[in-house]
Amino acid sequence: MSTSVAEQETSQAALPERPKQLAMHFDTLHQQFTTGKLAMWLFLGQELLFFTGLFTAYAVYRGNHQEMFHYAHYFLDWRLGGANTIVLLTSSLTAAWSVRCAQLEQRKGLLITLALTFLCAAAFMCIKYVEYSHKIHIGAVWGSNFGVPLNEFPEHLREKYPDLTPEQLQQMGTGSFFAIYFCMTGLHGIHVLVGMALYAWLFIRALRGSFNRKYYGAVDNIALYWHIVDIIWIFLFPLLYLIG
Amino acid sequence: MAGGIVEKPASAEVVHPTVHYLNATKGFKNWLVTLDHKRIAIMYLCAVSVALLLGGFWAIVLRTELLHPHDDVVLSNAWYNRAFTLHGAVMVFLFIIPGIPASLGNFVLPMQLGAKDLALPRINLFSWYLYVMGLILFLGILFLGGLDTGWTLYPPYSVGGGSEHKAVWLNLIMAYTAVFILGFSSILTGLNFIATMHKLRPKDMGMYDMPLFLWALYATSLIQVLATPVVGLTLGLSLIEHMFNIGIFDPRYGGDPVLYQHFFWFYSHPAVYIMVLPAMGVQSELIATFSRKHVFGYKAIAWSSIAIAAIGFIVWGHHMFVSGQSPAAGIIFSLLTYFVAIPSAIKVFNWVATLYKGAIDFKAPMIYALAFMYLFGIGGLTGLFLASIANNVHLHDTYFVIAHFHMVMVGSVLTGFLGGVHYWWPKMTGRMYNETLGRVAAVMVFIGFNVTFMPQFVAGTRGMPRRYANYLDEFTTYHQVSTIGAYILGAAVVLQVGYLLHSLFKGRKAPPNPWGAASLEWQATSPPDFHNFLEKPVTMGAYDFENWEYVSEEAGYVLKREVIETGKSLAKAH
Amino acid sequence: MTSTTHEAEGHGAHDGHHEGLPGTIGHVSSWKSLVTVLTVLIFLTVLTVAVAQLDLGRLNVVGAIGIACVKASIVALWFMHLRYDKRFNFWIFISSVAFVAWMVGYILFDSSMYQHNIKEFRETHPITAPEIHEHDGGEEHAE
Repeated sequence: MSTSVAEQETSQAALPERPKQLAMHFDTLHQQFTTGKLAMWLFLGQELLFFTGLFTAYAVYRGNHQEMFHYAHYFLDWRLGGANTIVLLTSSLTAAWSVRCAQLEQRKGLLITLALTFLCAAAFMCIKYVEYSHKIHIGAVWGSNFGVPLNEFPEHLREKYPDLTPEQLQQMGTGSFFAIYFCMTGLHGIHVLVGMALYAWLFIRALRGSFNRKYYGAVDNIALYWHIVDIIWIFLFPLLYLIG
Repeated sequence: MAGGIVEKPASAEVVHPTVHYLNATKGFKNWLVTLDHKRIAIMYLCAVSVALLLGGFWAIVLRTELLHPHDDVVLSNAWYNRAFTLHGAVMVFLFIIPGIPASLGNFVLPMQLGAKDLALPRINLFSWYLYVMGLILFLGILFLGGLDTGWTLYPPYSVGGGSEHKAVWLNLIMAYTAVFILGFSSILTGLNFIATMHKLRPKDMGMYDMPLFLWALYATSLIQVLATPVVGLTLGLSLIEHMFNIGIFDPRYGGDPVLYQHFFWFYSHPAVYIMVLPAMGVQSELIATFSRKHVFGYKAIAWSSIAIAAIGFIVWGHHMFVSGQSPAAGIIFSLLTYFVAIPSAIKVFNWVATLYKGAIDFKAPMIYALAFMYLFGIGGLTGLFLASIANNVHLHDTYFVIAHFHMVMVGSVLTGFLGGVHYWWPKMTGRMYNETLGRVAAVMVFIGFNVTFMPQFVAGTRGMPRRYANYLDEFTTYHQVSTIGAYILGAAVVLQVGYLLHSLFKGRKAPPNPWGAASLEWQATSPPDFHNFLEKPVTMGAYDFENWEYVSEEAGYVLKREVIETGKSLAKAH
Repeated sequence: MTSTTHEAEGHGAHDGHHEGLPGTIGHVSSWKSLVTVLTVLIFLTVLTVAVAQLDLGRLNVVGAIGIACVKASIVALWFMHLRYDKRFNFWIFISSVAFVAWMVGYILFDSSMYQHNIKEFRETHPITAPEIHEHDGGEEHAE
């Protein structure tokens, strides 16, 4: 009596020719794969719009406070930002390569590329940590909390504008720049952390040998997510670190 | 398909399934971890009904308070502010936005495609949990003493607070979190729907063979996916701002409050169409079914849904005509706003044309459908008045605006929701509700609405501002009549809850197709099997009513024998 | 829109002659193409740093965003397989970008139009320094 119709039907559905990874409401693995991918692309579409608010805030404040943005960008070290760009681009390569390995059923290659992607992400966060802790240390932070003493001004800024005082910077609202800086890079950083968790999960699944050439949607979709995180950073780097 | 058809004589006894999705597995826990779209839909229906009753309760309290121009009838002035904030926020974020898509859409969408489930069942369940978290947070706000910023949470109002600052601070944090979470619930539902409609549609059903309800849900989902993330970010930023004083929207720290309004309305105006489009979809089904006529102008209705969604994205500035937006932007937005009227009118004209020479059956869902057309007509046309800047500056933040958007957001969405609930009730529960009481309640809703909001139009043009607990004596009559209307509406809702719950236990067992509707879900048993269909449904046009013939009150409509034998629709190409 | 729906199984790849096991779903990128893409991306990163060192006035912004757009397109087309993917996914991406552009563009336009109001107001109404409190004031505001 305990077996319900639902359970019976499920067991009927699991006939030999039906792969075990195929969910009950799909006909083929191909259909299941393309469905997941379509949903992922829709999700990436919303990710883009999710970040748009911050890009808009950046554009509005930059448009209205050109000189403040100019001074403020000296506080960011383009070498660290550039290093992070290279790290993230490399991780994009390994992510794309992991998809290739999954498609070709190269188990070892898959594990290596997944691990490398995770490690690149970790390296990114470490560099980010160095940047954040320095900024918080010298007081280059958000909103009204902004206040950097003169001796902590970056060299280039002091050379170019010897008369600039900390009070002037504070009054022109440099805190707004750092509010936007911390929000943008922080939100991006959260995405990187989520990506790390996802790659750890993929690694465990790959260890168990869950993926094959017809069932690797998770590897592919998470790589797509990872590439969009990369694309966001491709814009953040020049906007925040380079143009003044 | 042609071979192995079960012989089903037209006069057969109705099959009432003994095992179906409601009792396939038992126990509370099985419901909480279910991946079945039908069960998740029922759970959504329960949750949004709680939100509707909560929001409705505040509406009744507010209207009662406004019976007298000066005295505190039931609320202090401070609590009046909190009451309208909670009324608005609960109704908008918890009932109107998710109401129809997440409950009715969730149930009907896969079935109208002849599919077994939504594309992503786990995501579907996850979005329900997100919704419930949002609901709990809003209830928490209520218990912590409420929020008085208005449902829009504009920064100038939401930065200071009244006297209990700590509580207000905490409540704001909770409100931001709640809307953020609800936004993600909405996004996940939307992308799930789009993926399902693209990938689980049977091979012999093209986009133009889908019921118009699905086109409406498609347009809704597009907005949910593309607009909701913006409000998520906006409220996320506000949350960060409240915790760390970062200065993006808060003018005290160099922020720009107009920017908040831009961000907020970039979502919240399209959100108006998230609300009304599914109701329009239900409307198309009801009008065609109860006129027993193929819907007029199928492609026009389908594409006008997409057009409304697209135009909905380019009109948000009409909420900001008086809040610091530049005059140039105001003029452009005013012009663009008029364009929304075109696809909306296309829909209404097509519904009217569908009614023409139809065999109209005044069942309760049909009464809601007709009420919808009337209320949406008034709400939409008064929207045109408000789209012109000169009128808008005069009428801004008056009861005219209140009446306008209640006609659209509540008049249309609520009648669409109630019409849909009654229409699919036999399918969802396997029981018929009491038709007479259903009709009485439908008429009461219609009358209640008009009595509530018609006086508000007049009061608004005479200068009655919104959000005031006290008012000048000259407005007393308008307010009192309006309050009586609200009571009629409240009584109708109580009546509905009563007879719908009663039908669950005592109602007549429903046949598979009590209305003679032609979309695929009516080929399943009532209530459907765990896997929706016992045998693959005959794919046919959603409005090919000629395939069904009436048997009796108990047996409803059955497929004609020819259709079963050939597996093909009798309809000529349309 | 309908072209994306009724697909047969196993026709993921569009360019016929690629490596891969029989029945593989999706397009397999060759490792050469992946490495080439990374090289180009790194070159463009160096280029964008180099361009930023020059003082071109407003053109600096245009250059930086232009190069970033090229880089993003490369990532989308090759790393994200949009070149070989279903056309519909491509259109999802493009329409999202269009909405991004519309939102940024319009709000930027409007805010530049109303800035003079704020400036005039500030000039005629000198701002007294706002009191800043941890966590939004609390009791200090009450009096």
